[in-house]
Amino acid sequence: MLLNPADRDPAATRRLAALLAALAILWPLLQAAEVKPGALFAADNLKVIGGFLAAFLPPETGIEFLGYLGKATLETLAIATAGLALAWILAVPLAYLASGAGREKASLNPVSRFLLTLLRGIPELVWALLFVRVFGLGPAAGVLALGLTYGGMLAKVYAEILESADPRPARALRQAGAGRPAAIAYGLLPQAAKELVSYTVYRWECAIRASVVMGFVGAGGLGQLMDQAMKMLNGGEAASILLAFMALVMAADGLSHWLRRRLEKPAAPRAAAFGPGMAGLSLGLAAAVLASFGFLDIGFGALFTREAASSMGEFAANFLAPDLSGEWLLKVAKGAWETLAMSAVGTLLAAAAGLLLALGRPRFLFGLGLNALRSVPELVWATITALAVGLGPFAGTLALALHTAGVLGRLYAEALENAPAAPNQALRLAGAPRSIAFLHGTLPEVFPQLLAYTLYRWEMNIRMAAILGFVGAGGLGQLLYFELSLFHYAQASTVIAAMLILSVTVDWGSAWLRRRSA
Amino acid sequence: MIRSTSRRLALKGALACALAASLSFSLPAGAADGVLRVSAIPDEAPTELQRKFAPLGKYLEAQTGMKVSFVPVSDYATVVESLASRKIDLAWLGGFTFVQAKVRTNGTAIPIVQREEDAKFTSKFITADPNIKALSDLKGKTFAFGAPSSTSGSLMPRYFLQQAGLNPEKDFKNVAFSGAHDATVAFVAAGKADAGVLNASVWDKLVEQKKVDTAKVRVFATTPTYFDYNWTVRGDLDPALVKKLTDAFLKLDPANPEHKEIMALQRASKFIPTKKENYEGIEKAAHAAGLLK
Repeated sequence: MLLNPADRDPAATRRLAALLAALAILWPLLQAAEVKPGALFAADNLKVIGGFLAAFLPPETGIEFLGYLGKATLETLAIATAGLALAWILAVPLAYLASGAGREKASLNPVSRFLLTLLRGIPELVWALLFVRVFGLGPAAGVLALGLTYGGMLAKVYAEILESADPRPARALRQAGAGRPAAIAYGLLPQAAKELVSYTVYRWECAIRASVVMGFVGAGGLGQLMDQAMKMLNGGEAASILLAFMALVMAADGLSHWLRRRLEKPAAPRAAAFGPGMAGLSLGLAAAVLASFGFLDIGFGALFTREAASSMGEFAANFLAPDLSGEWLLKVAKGAWETLAMSAVGTLLAAAAGLLLALGRPRFLFGLGLNALRSVPELVWATITALAVGLGPFAGTLALALHTAGVLGRLYAEALENAPAAPNQALRLAGAPRSIAFLHGTLPEVFPQLLAYTLYRWEMNIRMAAILGFVGAGGLGQLLYFELSLFHYAQASTVIAAMLILSVTVDWGSAWLRRRSA
Repeated sequence: MIRSTSRRLALKGALACALAASLSFSLPAGAADGVLRVSAIPDEAPTELQRKFAPLGKYLEAQTGMKVSFVPVSDYATVVESLASRKIDLAWLGGFTFVQAKVRTNGTAIPIVQREEDAKFTSKFITADPNIKALSDLKGKTFAFGAPSSTSGSLMPRYFLQQAGLNPEKDFKNVAFSGAHDATVAFVAAGKADAGVLNASVWDKLVEQKKVDTAKVRVFATTPTYFDYNWTVRGDLDPALVKKLTDAFLKLDPANPEHKEIMALQRASKFIPTKKENYEGIEKAAHAAGLLK
């Protein structure tokens, strides 16, 4: 069909050239990520992975194991809830300090902005790894790690939401003599409340996923159980844990959707500002947070003793003198390059696969596939892909690609559905084939949005790529795990700094690309 | 509009109260009042470690008159750090983790006993690849160590590889850390790594229990002997208690059926006293291999 000159894509040459240029730029990245598609289809590897996946059936259902599983599931839920409560306490004052909202002059506070970047730039897994060392043993490390990272994220987004609200009511209040807190509370919060709560609930959902991941470094919960099962390649146990995890994520998804939908509905007019529904919700929330802290039994008191402070101080001091010798820097640079390659190639593969899956018909079937892809965490995918292609960066790249394809596919599908249908239909009516109508009618409409989603995911993937090394995917993660195990804090400190620089650079790069395409 | 503000503020208030309340209720997990806290480096699956420890824990309770609680951890370094920060009293350490503990406690950690077997310990190099017959065949292959700070799964094999002229980071295609000895066997059996190395005692146990297919996975090299595992106490533990613990281990006698079960689980024929000096060789090897700075 495309042989007919009238049907050929008029922009084909230009697009092909752009694609080739992109490939030429990507070539070194592909090299660093050790992409070798052949390994995926080697008979030996297929047999190994087939054997492992076959062991998933039947899932382990022994009473003793189910007992562990139930406890771990509750623990994960409690870590996420307690962690988010902590994050919230941190985020509110930080957002207040960092935000330009309600100020006479929009002067941004550079110190708190820097603090936010620092909190967000270091992946929660790294915080968890450090806290496991200081507080040892159990979920306290996970709660604190979540509290810090998510505190940073919440504060940044809260600050931005407040800034994007209509500033006039707050300005009017300030000019009438109100202080900044009052101006924010009465001028901005009423506009922004829904969005703030909605984002907080969404973050809670993310916290559940994250608390599973942190279990991989010994912060308790389902992740710790999963790590054991995966290391021992115990398929039956892995299957049960994965099922429990998926059920938990889906339940959280459902609850979060329900809460957010309730926020969409305007409250019924009533005399009291504080309705029974709200009272019930607040009580429920308070009970959940209390129950979480109670269940985890974190000795927070012990964290605030002089002894804990001095051991924490000593520990932190170890990190103040990073190893900056040329030899070590070279090694870290190589790790950073590998990590960057993993994240970039993984995201690109995911974008391509996600687009194909988003276009697939019937929608229902492909939607199910996308859900399956994204409900398996990257670290779990990495264990499976390492069996398929051997240890190394390619396994990490594939793991990122598989999970991200699920996420992006869903976002792409939504964007495509919401795209205006007229241009596509006009082209079809004018006799253009389906492919051309899509390329010139639909794609240009949604392209900036697709690109923005992809770049956002890349920002998340650079953080994830930095830690995939913990399960043998190379890069900065493996260096960090090794050096921390040996108490080589000077070297570990360099690696953490490199992670921070890398994620900040990618954030900037991605923001720049988004601005250009918008 | 105003309604949603007060809703927001109400939320805030509720959250703050809840947190304040929970903070005041969950005060310290407590110091070790009459409780002996014991842990072990997780060189095998944690469930296996707890199974192995249960009868020994009961025995120590009877011998010391204290409640003994086992604290499971998932990371070698956590055990060392917990001993140094006095969160645990007694720990089952590897040779290298003992050296790390010694360094981190400024030399105060005291090794009390070890198994007779630990005085001449070895590591086994294993593979499922028919082409690997000697250490020199490992060039360009993927290789799995146990945990980075394992003595028999990382330090000593690395040291002996170095003696044989092999640098893992340069000569192997990829190096992975499985985290535990039984996991290394799983890695190699599944082809996730071309070869690996583990503790001889765990290898023998897995072979005895038929948990490894020896037709597929085989040993192709064994290291020279070295000092490994011991039971270590933190330096500021009551000397009378340390004496009780040491005596309890030394009294274990395979002729006594009750003791026999404990010793079989610990894979010990006999416990013997040990001292810091036994681990100087390991410390030197750790410096030579660049694992200790």
